[in-house]
Amino acid sequence: MQNLDDLQKVLIIGGGPTEIGHETELDSATVQIITGFKKHGVRTSIIDNNPFSVALEEIQPTNMYVQAVTTANVRHIIEKDRPDAILPSLGGLLAIQIVQELIENGDLGRFGVTILGMTASTLRQINNPAALNATLKAIHEPVIEAQIVDTTDEAMGLVESIGFPLIVKPVSPRLDTNRTVCENVDEMLNALSQGFQQSRFDQCTLERSVVGYKEVEMVAIRDVADTKVLLCGLENVDTIGIHSGDSIVVTPPQTLTDREYQNLRDATFRIATELGIVGVLHLHFALNPANQHFYVTKIAPYFSRGVALAARTTGYPIALVTGALLLGQRLVDIKLPSRYVKQTAIMEPTIDHVSVRIPLWPFQEVPDADQHLDTAMKAVGSTVGVGRSVEEAMLKAVRSSQFSPRDVLPSVSNLTDGEMISQLIHPLANRILVLIEALRRGYAPDELSELTKIDNFYFVKLQHLLTIEQEIQDNPLNVDTLKRARYYGFGDGMIARIWQTDTATIRHLSAEAHITPTYKMIEPTAGEFAEDASGYYSTFEYENESQPLGDRTALVLGRGGNQLGPNSAAEYFTTEMLKQLKRAGYHTVLMNTNPNAIAIAPEFSDKQYVDPVQLGDVLNVIQIEHPDIVIVPGNRHYLTRELGKLDVNLHVLPPDQETGEEPPKIATIGVSLFVHGQQKIAVGVMDMLAPGMNKSVAQVTAFRMPAELPKAKRLGLVELAKQAVSERQVTGMIQVLFAPKGESKQLAVVGVRPTRLTEMAFLSKVTGINWVRMLTRQHIETLDDAELAKIKIDLNSSRVALMNAAFPFRQLHVLNRPGTTDQEVGATIAFGSSEALTLSNLSDTAELDQIINRTIG
Amino acid sequence: MAKRYLILEDGSAYAGEGFGAGATTSGEVISNLNLLGYQETITDQIYHNQIIIFAQPAIGNVGINHDSYESILPTAKGMVVRDVTNISTNRLSRLSLDEFLQQHNIPGISGIDTRHLIRKLRQQAGPRKGSIVDVADAHAFDQLNATVLTNRQVDQVATPKPYPNPDTGKNVVVIDFGLKHGILRQLSERRCNVTVLPWTASAQDVLNLDPDGVLLSTGPGSPLDLGAGVLEMIREVQAEIPLFAIGLGHELFALANGAELEALPVEYHGSSHPIRRIITNDIMYATQGQGYAVIAKSIDRDRLITTYVDLINGTVQGLRHRDYPAFSVQFFADGAPGPHESRDLFDEFMEAMTAREG
Repeated sequence: MQNLDDLQKVLIIGGGPTEIGHETELDSATVQIITGFKKHGVRTSIIDNNPFSVALEEIQPTNMYVQAVTTANVRHIIEKDRPDAILPSLGGLLAIQIVQELIENGDLGRFGVTILGMTASTLRQINNPAALNATLKAIHEPVIEAQIVDTTDEAMGLVESIGFPLIVKPVSPRLDTNRTVCENVDEMLNALSQGFQQSRFDQCTLERSVVGYKEVEMVAIRDVADTKVLLCGLENVDTIGIHSGDSIVVTPPQTLTDREYQNLRDATFRIATELGIVGVLHLHFALNPANQHFYVTKIAPYFSRGVALAARTTGYPIALVTGALLLGQRLVDIKLPSRYVKQTAIMEPTIDHVSVRIPLWPFQEVPDADQHLDTAMKAVGSTVGVGRSVEEAMLKAVRSSQFSPRDVLPSVSNLTDGEMISQLIHPLANRILVLIEALRRGYAPDELSELTKIDNFYFVKLQHLLTIEQEIQDNPLNVDTLKRARYYGFGDGMIARIWQTDTATIRHLSAEAHITPTYKMIEPTAGEFAEDASGYYSTFEYENESQPLGDRTALVLGRGGNQLGPNSAAEYFTTEMLKQLKRAGYHTVLMNTNPNAIAIAPEFSDKQYVDPVQLGDVLNVIQIEHPDIVIVPGNRHYLTRELGKLDVNLHVLPPDQETGEEPPKIATIGVSLFVHGQQKIAVGVMDMLAPGMNKSVAQVTAFRMPAELPKAKRLGLVELAKQAVSERQVTGMIQVLFAPKGESKQLAVVGVRPTRLTEMAFLSKVTGINWVRMLTRQHIETLDDAELAKIKIDLNSSRVALMNAAFPFRQLHVLNRPGTTDQEVGATIAFGSSEALTLSNLSDTAELDQIINRTIG
Repeated sequence: MAKRYLILEDGSAYAGEGFGAGATTSGEVISNLNLLGYQETITDQIYHNQIIIFAQPAIGNVGINHDSYESILPTAKGMVVRDVTNISTNRLSRLSLDEFLQQHNIPGISGIDTRHLIRKLRQQAGPRKGSIVDVADAHAFDQLNATVLTNRQVDQVATPKPYPNPDTGKNVVVIDFGLKHGILRQLSERRCNVTVLPWTASAQDVLNLDPDGVLLSTGPGSPLDLGAGVLEMIREVQAEIPLFAIGLGHELFALANGAELEALPVEYHGSSHPIRRIITNDIMYATQGQGYAVIAKSIDRDRLITTYVDLINGTVQGLRHRDYPAFSVQFFADGAPGPHESRDLFDEFMEAMTAREG
């Protein structure tokens, strides 16, 4: 590696659009790394085409390459911009693959570009399982090796060394086949005879099956001097066989003995050293609970959802430290901000709470997907619960994962016994509810543990929750019961439902009996030092550590875990809003449960409460913080209504779509206006593209700006739009929808609505004006008329922008099709000349993708 | 479960639920910040006479396991936890933490705001007493205040009789001050033929066994309470054969070589402090459990070299004798519970014994 002191320019490969596998956590880490680089005088450029990226807001336009993240595009940027180094660890596995291609085709060497964080050889190994296995074998780390066999005799010869269960897989199969798990010789012979037929080479591989083993993840950090710090261990409640992204994850690990944990720690450190990782390393292990043997199953030397959870649960500033490490600093020399008493990056985090992360699946929006959980990840988001017992953390996570407006858990009691057993063995998305239901029907924890391979401990804990639930049922309005219920994480809504009363009664009872929440700090020393971290969670104990921030506090409610729909855009919105509130002199408080959220990183608000965004929990935070302003996202109608009844200065931001008028069926052009008092600023005229046959507004998932219309026509529409807005007395960021009408097919106003989050982000990226901040300022009344009047937007810009929604169809193995706005997982954006972005066929999703992903020469 | 109280010398009382033994107990209240390893912790004899507050809120999750004992007869005075699970995970599904504590007459109390206690206790210097009681009345506080904790902890927990742990390798004498089994496990892994001697053994007793090396074990309490005999033994033995000392053994080794000790304002039990190995500048982690530390200024530089230092509180974590193959560490090099990265110290000990053979 070259001398990092000379480093002046770094190119970051961005994460691209949100998809299954990664959401906003990469963007969040990117923002923090860029900030760190800036402090060290390093100029950062970035390639990314995610319109909801906050990182893109942090960077000078000249250093921003809004292009598809492809090898060809990265290569061109290197050629043109000549960065000293390239950073592959913020763009997931794709970035690793791209950098490997750039090594192989000689580009990095030719232009003298250093790879930050790992060596070229490590990077190659991450992409090549066989090479990686060889390295691990050399350092005596156990890996699962696949052995190729040509005959059943050969296979029989290997049986003893591999042992059952084992997995048979055809080599280079003719059809899309699966691996077969075999429990005995007969099953293996069957699978082999099929496999040999399916293989193009008449070969199969045999490997040890670790299905049913515990999956444990370790997150560590290492510097150039080989100092290593173990940051966090994560235990998957579901065993190997279900993707870790689809598994409930608990941290710190609860069912590992110290010895098992330390063995994994040792392996983590050995691998970090062997691979020469600088920065963060995230490993997966398969641990046999019967004999403590383990295998390394995944090595990820890059930011991931595991790293995000580690950062959230420990309070250790992983991205900040990694940024410094990447520039060659040593862990011992890194000085942390003063909120850490010892200001050192080498105290190993130790925590005194439990965090549980529960995945969120998109099956409601994509019902035709196979909903079974298996080795391919299907979740699009997750939500976390933090507490002082496994019960409390688990229940908080479950409550947040159900998005029930009134905070009650759905019942799965309508399942037949047969269905239930089938779902225990072949789990579906509502896994946790089925596990609870099975206990409810009298299955014993150890029986269920046997059936599901989930550690008995978790069933014991879930059963404890059921015992408390029974106690609640048996003791209506009993104060001791209420205390116990809240202590173990039951929400006000759940208790109210059981007692057939309302939350107000529950709260009144609690207040009278002094059952009030105590907030505990999320910090990495487990109370050894008086840290001043900004993350808190509630519990019901003796000491409360959270003090109000003081005058001018704004409480912003997050949207919880990521789901399909405009959620990535909402994250962008929330983050930019928080930044603006802070700039306007507010103390900012965020409540959210999405561990991958951008805004939940301490950099963006003064305080973060990781608690369910439910009425009771929100009121508790309001009681502590006495905010001057409470901002609720537009999709929370019940919450908004209930908070509205109280003496709270409530703002719904982003605005509630449903308060607009009935949306039209069809719209082809959208004119966006920022309306403030008498001023109506025309922000943009865009084509609203609904790829596919049915051109309904719900299918408008792509946008082109300026709209492909003659100039005069655009300006004409703006005038019509202003008129429509004037008639309706709306304010804020408004979108006026147009569609061809009547015989003449003349464009006419068909609807007026608050601009959607996705389009708001699009408009900000295209106009270079941050409309989220404008809207926020309008709400907190710091918007200046004169300043607004000065805004000049060229509605007829020759630079064209195109935004296209990304859908999870391919990853969910469902038919690719035009999606609806409810099915969006993310989006991509492209800029170019009118010619480059011309669409010949508006129905063709493939053409849209092609244009967006084109190589920019 | 029965309602019980943790009461402290300062007059505070915390209500919780009893588990384990129902006895009333008094001891010195300390906190342990390790993430895992409650069984190793509760069975470690360094906690003799102490009531342990666990920072990790969920305790008991993996029951009691055959390979996690640091002693067979635990003598800690109590466990204070936020949440305890009554579960058995061994092959016979037969021993939960709760049952184990009952069998050994150790009371536990759960439902306590342990984070609050840990935060509070870190501000109060000096040892402090506490009790787990059924009723937190004036009588209970009187009893607590009247309690005089013994300073003969080593006597209470160390073996009174020698015993062997045979193997075929190096002949090692372990002096037991409250030996944790992790040390024996490390010696077994290296095939050492071990004889454990009572802490009262004289140099003559040790040398009669013609050992290749001597290991001074961990143990509870203050090294200052053990008298001059031990120090004399150490001085004689270190001049003859390789010596390795851990924990209390390290403190005694320091005293024997002219250094002085100080009581830490707050005992530290955890494994998150970075420790620097001075000779290589490496950073590593190990479980620490200490109420005393060697005063750096007091070290006679002609006799001892500081080899390890804690980068958080600056305490001396390791010493080496200038003239003899004798060295010591304050932290627990065997892990159990805690990180393993300092286990190579046992290899160093083996090398010292091999070198002596020439």
